[in-house]
This record gives sequence, structure tokens and C-alpha cells, in this order.
Amino acid sequence: MATKIENWREKELSIEEVFDKYKEIPKIVILKTDVHRRGYILSEKAQKLFNEGDYQSQADTIFGKKEGENKIPIGLIFRDGTSLVGGYLTNYGIRDPYVIDEIDGKFYLTDNGKVYEEVDFWREPDFYRKKTSKGTPMGEVVNVRPQRLNVAISRVCHFWDKPGEGCKYCNVGINGIDSVKHGIPDLFDYDEVAEAVAEAVKQKGRFAMIMVTTGSILTGEHIFDDEVDEIIKAFEKLKPIFKTHDLKVQLIASAYDKEQLKRLKEATGIIGYTSDIEVLNKDLFNWICPGKAAHVGYDEWKKRIFDAVEIFGEGNVNSGIVGGVELAQPNGFKTEEEALEKYLAEAEDFAKHGVPIAYIVWGVCGIFHNQVVPSLDYYVALAKGLNEINDKYNLKSYFDDYRRCGNHPNTDIGRIYW
Amino acid sequence: MSVTLTQEVIDVINSKDTAKVLATIDKDGRVNVAFKGSLHYEDGLLVVNELLETSQTNKNLTYSLWFDKEVAAVFHGPGAAEYQIKGIPRKVLIEGPIYEKAYIAAQERNSDNDLAGVWYIEPTEFRNLTLPVRIAEQKEKYPIIGHLDKDVNPEYYK
Ligand code: SF4
Repeated sequence: MATKIENWREKELSIEEVFDKYKEIPKIVILKTDVHRRGYILSEKAQKLFNEGDYQSQADTIFGKKEGENKIPIGLIFRDGTSLVGGYLTNYGIRDPYVIDEIDGKFYLTDNGKVYEEVDFWREPDFYRKKTSKGTPMGEVVNVRPQRLNVAISRVCHFWDKPGEGCKYCNVGINGIDSVKHGIPDLFDYDEVAEAVAEAVKQKGRFAMIMVTTGSILTGEHIFDDEVDEIIKAFEKLKPIFKTHDLKVQLIASAYDKEQLKRLKEATGIIGYTSDIEVLNKDLFNWICPGKAAHVGYDEWKKRIFDAVEIFGEGNVNSGIVGGVELAQPNGFKTEEEALEKYLAEAEDFAKHGVPIAYIVWGVCGIFHNQVVPSLDYYVALAKGLNEINDKYNLKSYFDDYRRCGNHPNTDIGRIYW
Repeated sequence: MSVTLTQEVIDVINSKDTAKVLATIDKDGRVNVAFKGSLHYEDGLLVVNELLETSQTNKNLTYSLWFDKEVAAVFHGPGAAEYQIKGIPRKVLIEGPIYEKAYIAAQERNSDNDLAGVWYIEPTEFRNLTLPVRIAEQKEKYPIIGHLDKDVNPEYYK
């Protein structure tokens, strides 16, 4: 049960006031950020139109949908090409969600009766309902965003193996452990993944990047050695699909040491590498990401990301944070002003080492399911501040932009600065 | 502001023999001009297929869409016809059936081509820049402008 903020509209700046305060930030990006922060629901009319369309919906409803059951959207796209990843019912119950309504056969984002923007939902790609040679629907093996294929290596993040070590805002551990309990294997079947990818990229113009990610695998002679091995194994199946050694791939994974990074780059041809620091403050990192802190540590995680720039090149490495968790209580910053100041200072240290920070809007779940997400004012200030830092250090990360990812308000803005 | 174009103008804009140029500005107000052969008119909007993600035009169109700033296109037809249309980018398709069709067409022209987006620009102003038309307009509106030697009476000098 979420913690409702009573009379929240009276306690924080309205979106119109935020538009006015940040005139240099595009309204669409501010709106997207707010929709992510507050979530959205569909009006009855919009739900009907959505049910009838060829839109992508949450996998469990695509493949197991009963007659008359509503489909659940998984993402939005705005008229400037900006995506909203998820958002449906995100942070539901803390504040009031936006309502997507149907007007003249189109979808519009509305709030309190005011119409904001026309939006559209993500479309299902051609390969999605095809089956692998083992009979699995390909959409269960590889999922997608408007221009990106998402490939996963491991369903389980082993930071959750020891109780209390999973990141507190994350539900990957709970879901992963749950699916393994239900007999679903820990690792994906790379033959099936390769079949799905090979089928997906036949659709011309549909995909610009493959994002490969994995739950952390801590074993091996050095921590993460086995994780790197698994990724390389998956690429043995994926690489023959393409004619180039270097692949338009972003890997989002653990923070590897230099030897692991070199081995990975050489064997896979991955162009972009992301390792998420998640929390830009050592003390809070120790509290919020206890597994990462215990097994690697904040300073070492950071150093490894900096080292990756040497191996992958500037512009091909970045780090993600879950924007807003720094205000989680009881240990988080007590004011948004303090959080912003400390966060931007730390982000600048990353930028000095060639690493831009990309933030996502925090959707409360996991151990932090009772927390509340900060104000829109805070999120826009964070996006603005991070973009200014990236601009100051001339950092571009096209591999994590509005098209190839779509989940970071600050890189959404970055597209006219790069 | 809605702009109505005659069929004659639309035919020039949509002709493949027309030279088409798009001028845009960046966030600091600096101008960028580029030939855009794909510019055409469709259902009341100018449409342009921008091939390069990193082009200045692509960034500037985004900037104009975000902040309601005008861009300007000029068209020089095979004859003397020359038209200018100003407008505001309202939408870009970066995926979906229309985008994919334009992507395939771009690749058919050159297999190295990619496609950043299909941009839709809402016209805000039309001007006929065809030289004889502009000369006549200027004579009518500003009769004092122009050089005297063109106005002399040849009879006087006989
Ligand atoms: S590293 Fe942390 S955030 Fe990432 S999957 Fe594991 S527990 Fe979740």
C-alpha cells in the first residue's frame, strides 16, 4: 500500500508553475517526467481504443489474455519521439495519476480535466508473436521499446542471495527468485534469444539498438567473472547475426575490473557500456545498495566505471541512478535542496572522468514500496543540472538517448546539445 | 495560423525537379541551412525526412518543436517559380509504419542511408518569391523604390 500524500497539489509547484520556472526545459520532457512520477491510468474510452489497437501490452496479458480482459500498456511515445517507459500505475496511490483519454480517435494526456498532449502507445513488432524453434513466443524471450531490443542474460540478481543485500528500491530480486521457484531457469536460453533477435532485425527501421542486461552474478575467481562468461556465451550466439565486429549494443551490467572489461569488449564487440552506481552518495549507497557496497564498495564501483572509459572510449560509457531514492527516509537527504546540491557535485566528479550520469524517475517498489517520490520541481532541476554538467564537459552518450533508451529525462534534453 | 496553398504551388513544392532548402535555428539562435530533397507537402503540412540523427537540422527541428520556433523552407521550381514557407515543427515520427516506409524508401535510394525521423511542419506563412511577382509587388507597394534611369522617358533624349 502506497503512502498517500494528502492535498499534495497544495504542497508542491503545479506543472504550470514548473513550466514557468524552467522555461529552457521543453514542456514535453517536463510532462513526461511528471507522468512517470505520478503514473497514468486510462479512461474507459481510451482503454477500449487501446484494446482494439496493435499496441504492445504487458507480456502476461498478451499471451494469456482472456476474452474481455483489458490490455495493459507498457509505454508511451510523445510527438517529439520521447518515450515514457512504463508509467502505467507507477507510484499509484501517492499522488493522483494522469488520465489518458480518447478524443476523436486519438489518445491525450489529461489531468484534472485539462488536456496536455497527444500521446501514442508502443506498437508490437512483427516478430513478437512468432515462436522460437522450441515453441516459445519470441516476445517472451526478447522484449522491446520503440527502437530497441532488450535482451536479458540472467533473471536473477545474486545480490539478493543473502537476505538484506538487495538494493532497497528494486524488485528484480523478488521477481527473479519467484520465477526460479516456479521452475523457470535462472539463465535465458541464448539459442532462443538469438533466434528472436535474428527474426526481429528483419523488420527494417524497427530497431536501432540492442540493450543487453543481466542480474549480477557474483561468482568466479574474481567477482563477476562468471557474469562476464555468460555474456560472452550469449554473444557467441548473437554475433553471427551481424556482419560487423562492433555491435550497436549497450550492455547494462555490474562494474567490471579492467581485465574483465577488456575480455568483454574483445569477445563481444559491444559499443556502449553502462554500470549503474544507482545512488550518488557513499553513505546512502551503503544503506540503499548494501550488496553492492559489501561486495564491491562505492569507491571501487566508481573507479571501475571510470576505468571503462579507457577501454570503451569517451561517449560509450555512462552510469545510471534512480533519481529520488536519495530522499528516501529515514536516512536520505532531508531536503530536496541538499539532495540536489550534493548530487550535482558528485555527478560533476563522474563527468570529469568522462562519465555522464543518466537518471530514471523512481517508481517505488521493493523494500522501499512505502516511500514517496519527490516533487516535479526536484526532478526537473535534476534533469537540468545533469544536462548542464554533460554540456560543460562535452559529454555525449547517444547510446542512451531518447531513441535508444527513452528512460532518462536528462538525456532527452541532451539531444539538442550534442 | 492556417495557410492555404494553390495546387500550382503544391505541384512546385512536390516536384522532384525543384530545389528545396530548409533553414532552421539552434538553441542559441544560430542559423543553419541545408538542401532537403525530401521536403514535400501533404495534408496541409510540410513533411521532411531527416536522414541523420546528428545533423544540425535534426537538432534544430527538435528545438523548434519544443519551443514553438519557426523554420523556413524555400522552393525553386524548374521555371522561375520560387516560394517560401515558414512553419513550426509539430511532430516527428521515429518509429511506426509511416516511419518504416520512409526508412525503406531512403535505403532504396542509397543502402547507406538511415532515417532519423519523418518531420511534420505546420505552415504559418507563405510567400511567393518568384522574381517577376516580387518586382510587381514592390512597384505597387513602394513606388519610390528603384533607380531613376529605369524610369526615364526615351523620347526626352531624342
Ligand atoms: S544490482 Fe541492485 S538494482 Fe540491480 S538488479 Fe541487483 S538488486 Fe536490483
